[in-house]
Amino acid sequence: MQRAWNIAITCLALTVLILIGLFAGRFTVYLTSRVMILSIFAMGYNLLFGRTGLLSFGHAAFYAAGAYGLGLFSLHVSPHPLIGILVGVACACLLAAVIGFFCVRQTEIYFAMLTLAFGMMVFSLIWNMRSVTGGDDGLVGIMRAPISLGFFSIPIIKPKYYYFLVLFFLAMSVFLIYRIRRSPFGLVLAGIRENDRRVEFAGISLKNYRLGAFIISGTFAGLAGALGTLLESNSSPFSAHWSHSAEPVLVSLIGGIQTFTGPLVGSAVFIVLREIIERFTHNWMLWFGLILLVIIMGFRGGIVGALSGFKK
Amino acid sequence: MSKKGFTRRKFIKTGLMTAGAAALGTGVLKPLGLWAATPKIKGPIKVGYQCVLSGTLAGYGEFHKMGVTMAMEEINAAGGIAGNKLDIEYRDSTLKADEAIKNARYFADSWEADFLGGIDSSGQALALAPVMAELDRVLMVTHAATEKLTEQQVFKNGIKQIFRISMPTYQDGNAAAFVAKDLPAKTWATVSPKYEYGYTCWAMFKDTLSKLKPDVSFIADSWAPFGTTDFRSHINTIMDAAPEGFYSVEWAGELIAFIKQANQAGMFDKIKHVMLPVGAAMDVLEGVGMEMPDNIWISGRYFFMYPNDARNNGWVANFHKRWNHYPAYVSETGYSAMFAFKKAVETAGSKDTKAVVQALEGMTLASPAGDRVFRKEDHQAMYEVPWGLTVSNPKYPFKVMGKQIVIPAKECFNRPPFEGPNTKPPF
Amino acid sequence: MDLKSIVHVCLAGLSTGMFIWLVASGLTLIFGVLGVLNFAHGSFYMLGAYCCFTVLSRLGNNFWLGLLFGPLAVCVVGYVIERFFLRYVYRLELPYQLLLTFAFVLLFDDLVKIIWGAGSLGSPSVSGLAGSVPILGRNFPTYSLFIIAVGPLVALGLWALIEKTWYGRIIRAASSDREMASAIGVNVPVLFTAVFIFGTWLGAMGGGLAVPYVGLLTPGMGEAIIIDAFVVAVIGGLGSLKGAFLGALIIGLLSSFGTRFIPAFDMFLTFILMAAVLLWRPQGFFGEAT
Repeated sequence: MQRAWNIAITCLALTVLILIGLFAGRFTVYLTSRVMILSIFAMGYNLLFGRTGLLSFGHAAFYAAGAYGLGLFSLHVSPHPLIGILVGVACACLLAAVIGFFCVRQTEIYFAMLTLAFGMMVFSLIWNMRSVTGGDDGLVGIMRAPISLGFFSIPIIKPKYYYFLVLFFLAMSVFLIYRIRRSPFGLVLAGIRENDRRVEFAGISLKNYRLGAFIISGTFAGLAGALGTLLESNSSPFSAHWSHSAEPVLVSLIGGIQTFTGPLVGSAVFIVLREIIERFTHNWMLWFGLILLVIIMGFRGGIVGALSGFKK
Repeated sequence: MSKKGFTRRKFIKTGLMTAGAAALGTGVLKPLGLWAATPKIKGPIKVGYQCVLSGTLAGYGEFHKMGVTMAMEEINAAGGIAGNKLDIEYRDSTLKADEAIKNARYFADSWEADFLGGIDSSGQALALAPVMAELDRVLMVTHAATEKLTEQQVFKNGIKQIFRISMPTYQDGNAAAFVAKDLPAKTWATVSPKYEYGYTCWAMFKDTLSKLKPDVSFIADSWAPFGTTDFRSHINTIMDAAPEGFYSVEWAGELIAFIKQANQAGMFDKIKHVMLPVGAAMDVLEGVGMEMPDNIWISGRYFFMYPNDARNNGWVANFHKRWNHYPAYVSETGYSAMFAFKKAVETAGSKDTKAVVQALEGMTLASPAGDRVFRKEDHQAMYEVPWGLTVSNPKYPFKVMGKQIVIPAKECFNRPPFEGPNTKPPF
Repeated sequence: MDLKSIVHVCLAGLSTGMFIWLVASGLTLIFGVLGVLNFAHGSFYMLGAYCCFTVLSRLGNNFWLGLLFGPLAVCVVGYVIERFFLRYVYRLELPYQLLLTFAFVLLFDDLVKIIWGAGSLGSPSVSGLAGSVPILGRNFPTYSLFIIAVGPLVALGLWALIEKTWYGRIIRAASSDREMASAIGVNVPVLFTAVFIFGTWLGAMGGGLAVPYVGLLTPGMGEAIIIDAFVVAVIGGLGSLKGAFLGALIIGLLSSFGTRFIPAFDMFLTFILMAAVLLWRPQGFFGEAT
């Protein structure tokens, strides 16, 4: 039954996204692009958080790695967007491997604190290496050059074209994460979350699997960072701050940590809700705090969890 | 007989008045009946304004709103802009670039703003520049001070939609150097924010002062990260170096904490020549109160006692009556920004971006801070703010400027093309 | 680099360290006994400062009265949070507890802004502790000396409470084995509430003491101190009060010497230290091995 829900929600989401891309106004297209990018970040993150049970406060560092990787490549080497994205993703993957190597040596609160420490180290580095990263001014003016494919080129400078590029990456990410979750690797991850001692007794190296989940989630974070940079045409050190790391956590919680489509739904709700609240009051933090409280106290399955609960 | 005479006289008078009105234009007459029927400009004039409304700098957002709201009330009471109501919506810009971009897009694409205003953080302003070009709306920056915005984004990259009505870093760096050259201090040190703003201003100060007074040396610097509340280690560094002059471009709450802590350490007894480029900000003056040392140099982006003329004094009195508060510099820049839009739209006869840009370039704006001129090349408003020595004044519960020095903008602002010889002061 | 310089850097480091200790003590106590890492501890600090400020401005700028009554108001908030929210998530996984306390951080940041206004509030100095004392020719603020004295006093007080009193024994029992303590008749839920309120009070006291120390109150002032408190708590050993005290000393001195003598010094170095401790000695310098 869960599978049917997943497929239903995914198809619905895809349809809605395509319709938005074709017919909606410019601001809606922009906002939805942000939702999609946050979804990529959150879905990858949830592989580590929901699936493996590890709470990381440092994943914003990998988002930033993707963002600055693409930004620096675009400004200094070549503005080709696809190669830039590849560079950004590679940077994030590498950083996740290095940091993850250290972090997976601990679990629970110590793991969380380690990721916080490393994440803030990256933040501090980006802030202080001014000649490379531009310090707190960040990298500005990163333009979306057209993607040339032989005979024709796609002018992704236009918001709607870029929107569909992001949608393509989202679809690809959703598919990949779905496959990973259902693979033997993904099943072991679920096992680690349920009872890591038992998995260990079965002869599996916990560290390696955690590291694997860490690197994969970090890589998706990097993809989100690269796409985000192209959307906003700038990268900023705040993208590496721990408060940015809190976003995929909140989003997954709102949508449903244990569900597959939770982060997707959560991202949409998070961004749209923020936008709606802002139109009425400047005290959006108050309302978000209240909503979070309600969810944690009563609806821990998140939105998707609650919906599929009704089905039962 | 007399009736006919009256009628003719009346007719001539009316005719003269109409001709006079047409000739003098909107600057003089209340644009009521004359403009109500202008077909070119339809609907309310909408300005989307964003400023910091949360976190440690939230006070600045409130100051922005005070000035802008007051301007809106005055403009609408006098018939609006070209007969249309001025409509303003506020958003919390936070300090993050992507929030500012989202707000700008919301304003332009969803709320259909005609103009944008505000922006406190330099990083945000720089990130917004290419977005404003895409959205094709005028952004009047009222706080963010980085010179890169006007020198690079407007002048070099040709993003015509950006204008800045507030004082840029030239005041903090170059003008400070002009004041410092006449001080006997030969060695200088700084405690400044550990981000671009701090680095840029100190570099500009050093650069310009070295040219003006070659025998000065810069013997110590200490950089305080954003959000520092404990400056004592930094104060230690400076006092160990024992400079004759001290410069700090710390601002807002951090400057308040710094001054109080430096007072406790006795720094102002040991160092006689102190320059605080943003020390005359209202939140700093009020926050430090009587603990502000006397005889230190302070300045800002607008100081409520300058110019000491009827227009400014009247505006300050009105502001105080309206809000029971003396105006912060962002209140004045926000207020004047609305009038800049009004004058530009009415001069251009349109709210179309291209026409307004043309009207704003080179435009003189009569504002409480003085007569501002928007430089054509980089869209930076040129006006003066004095540097003054702190002194008590029984009229106010905080220290104010006593002796003042005004460095003309023409002498301390960098000049286009901003690269190459003779683009940086002294000229 | 003369004696005066070094002495003053040490003094600055000591006062910074003791200040962080005062804030971190409550966080450590709550984590040690309840097992909850309270993100909202920074909010208690902030609320303590604001309440103290309000009380003292109503009562003729009397700082001591503000310090007495202000944090008590925050204890009420702490009670409500523990009794009606946190109690229900103890049995849940770590992320939910952290997110719950994070929700309160968001709430309080905006509430403070709504109640006390968005602008920063300048605080008056404390009469009697306002001046400075010349030490080796340079003035050191009297209030900082006061903080340096209060820190160890609080440490001693806590030590005496936990090690030497009956209450302390119960607390130690409940934190090492919840079920067993309950089995021998300890009312664990009430105890946890009491400890949480006490931890809240410590945090709020830290905020009250901050009023003349920082000189300025701003909404969002909890954010910076909470990270410092986390770092200190981790380095000392999560849950160990002795560790937090010594960890605070280390961090205070490190940042003071670092800022003074190492130009490249930054939070980067403190985070490296934090990571190193977590990797090689997660129980901290002074905690017990788990």
